[in-house]
Amino acid sequence: MARALLTRRQWENLLVNGALILVSVLAMLPIATTLLISFKNEEDIIRKPPVIFPCDTPETAFSWQDCRWAVEGYQRVLAPKPAAGWPGFKLAGNMFRIYVPNTLLYALSSSLAVVLLAGLAGYAFSRYRFRGHDILLTGILAITGVPLLTNLLALYQMGVTLRKSALPLYNDRLFIIFVYIGFFLPLSVWIAKGFFDAIPHELEEAALIDGCSPVGALTRITMPLALPGLMAIFLLTFVNVWNEFIAGYLLIARNDLKPAMFGLYDFLSQNIINLQVIAAACILIALPVVLLFLFTRRSFFRAMMEGAVKG
Amino acid sequence: MLQTWCARLRKRGLDTLPFWLILPTVLVLLVVQVYPAVYTLWLSLHEREPQGWFYVGLKNYNRLFHTSLFSESVGHTLVFLLGYVGLTMAAGFCVALLLSRNVRFSGLYITLLFIPWIIADIIAGLVFRLLVVPDYGLLSGILQNPSLFLPHGLSVLTAVRPQPWFGQFPFPPAPAMLYLILASSWRALPFITLLLLASLQTIPTEIIESSRIDGASRTQVIRRILIPLMLPTLVVALFSLTLSGMNGVGMIFSLTSGGPGTSTEVLSYMLYSIGWRQLRFGRAAALAMLIALVNWLLISGTLRFTRVQDRRD
Amino acid sequence: MIRRWILIALVFALALILSACAPPAAPTAPASGQSTTAPATAVDFVTWYQYDQNNEDPASDERVGNAYLRQMIPRFNAAFAGQWNWVNQPKAFDKMATELVAAVQAGGEVPDLFQMASSMLNLFHRNGAVQDLSQWAQAQSWWDDLDPSAVQACTGADGKLYCIPVAELPHVVYVWKDRYPDGFPKTPEAFLAAAARLQSAGLYAMTFFGSTDFDGEGLTRGVWMTMSSFGGTMDDGHGNMLLNTPENIAAIAFLRQLVQKGYVPEISFAGGFQEEDAFKDASAGAFPTGLFGYRYVNPLHAPNGTVYNKRNEQDMLDAIAAGDVEFSTYFATPGHTPGCNVGVQGFSIPVGAKHPEAAYDYINWIMDPAQNADWVLGPGGGFPARISMSHTEQFQTPFYQKAAEVIKASNCRPWYGSLERPQEAKKLVMTTVYKLIKEDPTADIGTLLQSTQEEYNANN
Repeated sequence: MARALLTRRQWENLLVNGALILVSVLAMLPIATTLLISFKNEEDIIRKPPVIFPCDTPETAFSWQDCRWAVEGYQRVLAPKPAAGWPGFKLAGNMFRIYVPNTLLYALSSSLAVVLLAGLAGYAFSRYRFRGHDILLTGILAITGVPLLTNLLALYQMGVTLRKSALPLYNDRLFIIFVYIGFFLPLSVWIAKGFFDAIPHELEEAALIDGCSPVGALTRITMPLALPGLMAIFLLTFVNVWNEFIAGYLLIARNDLKPAMFGLYDFLSQNIINLQVIAAACILIALPVVLLFLFTRRSFFRAMMEGAVKG
Repeated sequence: MLQTWCARLRKRGLDTLPFWLILPTVLVLLVVQVYPAVYTLWLSLHEREPQGWFYVGLKNYNRLFHTSLFSESVGHTLVFLLGYVGLTMAAGFCVALLLSRNVRFSGLYITLLFIPWIIADIIAGLVFRLLVVPDYGLLSGILQNPSLFLPHGLSVLTAVRPQPWFGQFPFPPAPAMLYLILASSWRALPFITLLLLASLQTIPTEIIESSRIDGASRTQVIRRILIPLMLPTLVVALFSLTLSGMNGVGMIFSLTSGGPGTSTEVLSYMLYSIGWRQLRFGRAAALAMLIALVNWLLISGTLRFTRVQDRRD
Repeated sequence: MIRRWILIALVFALALILSACAPPAAPTAPASGQSTTAPATAVDFVTWYQYDQNNEDPASDERVGNAYLRQMIPRFNAAFAGQWNWVNQPKAFDKMATELVAAVQAGGEVPDLFQMASSMLNLFHRNGAVQDLSQWAQAQSWWDDLDPSAVQACTGADGKLYCIPVAELPHVVYVWKDRYPDGFPKTPEAFLAAAARLQSAGLYAMTFFGSTDFDGEGLTRGVWMTMSSFGGTMDDGHGNMLLNTPENIAAIAFLRQLVQKGYVPEISFAGGFQEEDAFKDASAGAFPTGLFGYRYVNPLHAPNGTVYNKRNEQDMLDAIAAGDVEFSTYFATPGHTPGCNVGVQGFSIPVGAKHPEAAYDYINWIMDPAQNADWVLGPGGGFPARISMSHTEQFQTPFYQKAAEVIKASNCRPWYGSLERPQEAKKLVMTTVYKLIKEDPTADIGTLLQSTQEEYNANN
C-alpha cells in the first residue's frame, strides 16, 4: 500500500514536471527559432521547404561539421568598421550608434522621475486621508482609459508648439521623456500606494514620537522599507519605456532622436526578405531587457502583482 | 520650545504635506493625459478642411457608424477578445495549478515562462511573423504541407476566412486571427499565470485537504472551492486582459497589419489606420471616444471588485 | 519650513535630472560631415527624402538612393558654398506624408523641400500642406521642356501646380522570356490559354501585388493595370468614385478567374512585397509592377538556369540585357489600349518652409542637364520628365530602350483620376477587390462595387 502511494506520487510529479517542461518549451520556442534564423545565411532562409537547422548536406540530413552558421544578420545591424584606438572597431550601424543610446537615456531618466513622483504621491495616498482622496485616486486610473493613439495627436501638437516657443531649457528629448513619465505614472502611483500600505503605520508613529519631523520618519524608516517596492517600479517603467513603440514612432521626427523600437522599423522597411537581419535586430534589442529581467525577476513579480491587483 | 515647534509643524505638515506630495504627479498627468483626452473629445466634433478646423457636431460619429469596416471591426474585436481572454485565462489557470504543486524547479519554470512578457509587443509580433512567413517560415514548412492540411496546405498569412456561420459575424475566424490570438496569448500568459498563482497560494491548504478527505473529486475541488475563493482575482485578470486586448496595436502592426484582407482589422488597428494613415483625425477621435467608453466600463468594473476585496481584508 | 525646503530641493533635483539628461548623447548632426565642407555662413537647406545618406549598408533595399545622396550632398554644398548647406533628414517611405501633414497643420518644423510622389498630391493639397509653384515654375527655362502629362500629374484639382515633376515612373509587365516563348499574350483569352499551359508544367502565369498590405498599395499596380486594360476607370471625372461599370466588372471577374484557377501563386497575397519572390525564382512567368521594381527584384533565377546573383539592381538590368527578362504591355480587351499606372516623382515645397529660395536653387540645380540624369536614375527610378533628357546617353541602355517601346504602346495614366482622397480610396477599393477575387469568389461583383463607391462618395 505504502509503495503504491509512493509510486503514484512519483507518477504525479513526473506528469506535472513533464507538463511544465512542455509549457516552458512552448514559451521559448518562438524565441529559439528567431535565434536560429538570425544565425542563418540568406540561401538557407529562402529554401523551400524551409530547413530548421542549416546543417544538411546533399548526402546527410544533419551533420554538425557542415552547419552553415552565419553572422551576416548581426553584421548588417551592427555594421562594425575598423577604427583607430581601443577596441579596434566601431559600430557604424545606426542601431547601436544612435538608437540604443537614445532608448537608454529615455528609459533611465523617465523611470527615475516616475519612481520619484510615484513615490511621493503613493506615500501621500497611503498615509493621509484628505478631501478628494478617493476621487483623485480613481481619476488617475480612469484617465488612462483614453486610447493612446489619439492622445498622441494632442501631444504631437504640444511638442510642435513647445519647440516653436523656444523655451530656454526645452528640447525634443525632454519632451519625449516627459510624455513617457506621464504614460507610466498612473499605474506606478497605484503600485507605490500598495507598497506603502504594506508598511505598518506603527513604525512611523514610533519614530514620530522619538523624534519630531514626519520627513525624518519618511526618510529614515519608511523609505528604506519601501526601497524594494520603488526599485520594482523603476524596473517596470524601464522595461515599459524600452518596449514602447507607437509613441516614439509618431512623436519623434528626427532620425538622431529615434529610440530602438522605432529603429527596428528601419530594418523592416528596408529588408523585406532578409529575415536574418530582422531576426538579428529583434534579438539585439530584446536582449538587454531580458537580461535585466533575469537578474531582477523578484522585483518584477512584486511590481506586477501589486499593479494587477490594485489596478 | 522645541516640543511646541514640533507640534505646530506636525499639525501644519499633516494639513498641507499630502497636497505638496501629490502636486507634481497631478501636474504631469494634467499635461500628458487630461489635456490630450479633452482635446480628443474636441477633435471628435470637428473636421479638417484646407482652411482649418470646423465644428461638425456628431457627424464624425455618424459617418463612423456607416463605414462598412466599422461593424466588421466590432465583430473582429469581439472574436479576438473572446479567443484571447478565454485562451489566456484557461491556460493561465492550468499552468498556475501546476506550479502551485511545489515542484522542484518552479523558480526556473517561472523564469522561463515569464520571458515572453518582457519582450516588446512589436518584437513578439515580428517573431511570430517570422515563423509563418509564406514559404520561408519554419512553421510554414509544416503548415503548408498539402498532405497534412488538405487540400493545398495552410498559409496562415494568406488563407481566407471561412464562410461565417451567423450572418455577417466573423465566426469562425480566419487562420490569421487564430494565430494572432495565439501570439497575443503567448505574451499575456506569464502575467495571468503569476497573478493566479499568487492568489492560489493564499488559499490555505487545509481547506483543500479536508475537502479531499470528505471525498470531493479533483474537479469538484476546483469548481466548488478554488474558483469561488479566487473569484476576485479571476475577475481582475479578466478585466485587465480585456483592457489590454482592446487597446493593443503593436502586435497587429507587426504581425498582420490587419490582413489578410480585413480579417484581423480590430477597432484599435482601425483607429491607427484612420487617424495616422488616412489622416482623418476627427473621425479617429470619434472612434477613440467609443473605445475610451469601453475602457472606462472595464476600469470601473475592476475597481469595484478590488474594493470588495479590500473590504474583505 | 524644513519640509517645504526639502520638497523644493526635490523638485529642483528632478528638474536637474531631466535637464542633465538632455546633453550627454549630443545630437549627431543629421548630415554629419557636411557642415565641415561648407563655410560657417551657409544657411541650412533641409530636405526630406526616403533615403538615408548615413546608411552605408550595401545590401539595403534603398542603397541606390542612399548612395546617391551620399555622393550628391557634398557636390551641392560645393556648388553653393557659402550660400546653402544641404541637410537631408531621412523619412520612412510610408511615413513621410503623415509627418508632413501633421507638421504643417500643427505649425511644426517642415523641410524646405521634400521628394514626393504625385499620387500623394491630393492628400497634401486637401490638407493645405504644399505651396503653389505655378508662377515660379513657368518662369524657368526648363518649363517648356517638361512632359505635359507629368505636369498634369503635378497639377491639383484647382489647376495650380503643387509639385515639380522630375521623373516619370510608369508601370510595365516584367516577363520571363522562356515562360512565354511566343511573347506575352495580347488578349485575355490568349493569356488564359498560356496560363493553362504553364499550370500543366507546374508554373504560374503571373504574380502580382494582391494583398491589402500597405494601405491597399496593390490597387495601383496589377489590379489597376487589369482594370484600365479592360477599359475601366476609378472615377467619373468629377471627383466621384465610379466603380460599378461593365468594364470593371469584367476586369475583376477575370482576376477572380486567375486566382480561383490557381494561375497566380498564393504568395501574391502575402503582402510585404513577397509576391516578388515568385518572379525571382521564375515560378511565375510575368509580374506587372512599377518600372522601378528592377531595384528590388533580385537575385534572379532564370528558367534556363542562369543565376543573376549580384543582389542589387544590376541583376535585373543584366537579365534584361541578356534577353532573359523582357518588358511587355499588359493584355487588353478588344478596342482598348493596354493600360497602366504612372506616377511622377518630383519635389514639393511645404507651406511654412523657411528657405523657399534654397528650394528654388536646388530644383534648378537638379533640372540642369549635368545633374538631372543622376537624379532620374537615382532617387527617381524612372524616365526623365524633361523631354530633351530622354535622348541623352544615360537613357539609351537596353533597359530604357525596351521600356520606352512598351510605354509608347500603352496608355498610362494615374489610377486615381479625379479622386481627391486617394489614400482612402486605395484602401477601400483594394479591400473590396481582395474580397471579390480571393475571399468570396461567389459574391456578386456589381453589388459590392456599387456599395464601395457609395461609401466613398457619401464622404465627399
